[in-house]
Amino acid sequence: MDGDNSTTDASQLGIAGDYIGGSHYVLQSQEDDGDDGMNDNEDGIGSKDGFREQDIYLPIANVARIMKNAIPPTGKIAKDAKECVQECVSEFISFITSEASERCHQEKRKTINGEDILFAMSTLGFDSYVEPLKLYLQKFREAMKGEKGIVTSVTVTDGLGDELADESFIDFCLCTSANQLPAGLITADGQQQNVMVYTTSYQQVRILKHYTYRNLVRPSKDCTEL
Amino acid sequence: MAGSDEGGKMLDFADSRQVSLPISRVKLIMKSSPDVNNINQDALFLTAKATELFVQYLAAYSYKKGSGRESKCLTYHDLARSPEECDTFQFLADILPKKILARDYFKLLEEKEKEDEGDGEETDDSD
Repeated sequence: MDGDNSTTDASQLGIAGDYIGGSHYVLQSQEDDGDDGMNDNEDGIGSKDGFREQDIYLPIANVARIMKNAIPPTGKIAKDAKECVQECVSEFISFITSEASERCHQEKRKTINGEDILFAMSTLGFDSYVEPLKLYLQKFREAMKGEKGIVTSVTVTDGLGDELADESFIDFCLCTSANQLPAGLITADGQQQNVMVYTTSYQQVRILKHYTYRNLVRPSKDCTEL
Repeated sequence: MAGSDEGGKMLDFADSRQVSLPISRVKLIMKSSPDVNNINQDALFLTAKATELFVQYLAAYSYKKGSGRESKCLTYHDLARSPEECDTFQFLADILPKKILARDYFKLLEEKEKEDEGDGEETDDSD
């Protein structure tokens, strides 16, 4: 177990599953109020030696902050409630994503887009979110648009994948999916770098704190996918 | 082929006009779903934003329904009741099991056993 005081595994209790009856119970210890820092992971990732997929959560501090804003200022939130909402959030994201993904597949597309997400929301009973989300999306896009001009930018990552590695190395790029070109470049020393190339006629790359530009490269015909 | 999805990292939009959740983490969770290939920027943003709205909704709803029990404190118990009371939260039913003290549970078990024994005797008698 994860050091949790409660268990849903009836076999560990030596009790046959059918005794649990209609409701699903979790055993709670006497002092179970979250003081003991069970699974105390501010980071929101499971075990230390790498994460299991089912343990991926959003950071508890962010979640707690949003919860706090939703209740009256005098209200408090129990620690196990915060942890629980962390899990609910991951469940929610997966829930929406799988619905959106299904629609995507049905339409024979490979990339989940905004429409798929909005459609999933309204199918799953969150249709009241759709209009506000559209407004937010509009604001988001406007915030990203800058002055007109031709801008080319490239961001380079040192390796594949691990998005959680090395927060000091963050490249920020703006694009819409229609303007993305994936490419692998072989650099002078023979190493491959993964590259995202953007061309756009009316977007400007915003300079925000915490980013570094590694390269600015004009896309050329030599840019081939590898 | 270069990983077009892996390339490039998004900044966390700490700006309150944007989202207050780390986009990269949201993406990680989304990608852990089976059969998900690529996710477009808009979809990521919408999901992150929707998640914020969801947290607010769940917290506010549970708190409102709960106040009166543990006054002014949102507890796990309040959250665990939400799937019963609101259809939208039904999907959370499995991950929000209600908690029960062990001694209460064993009491329940005993009572159930007694009922079963009682039934057994009746069946024997009916000839």
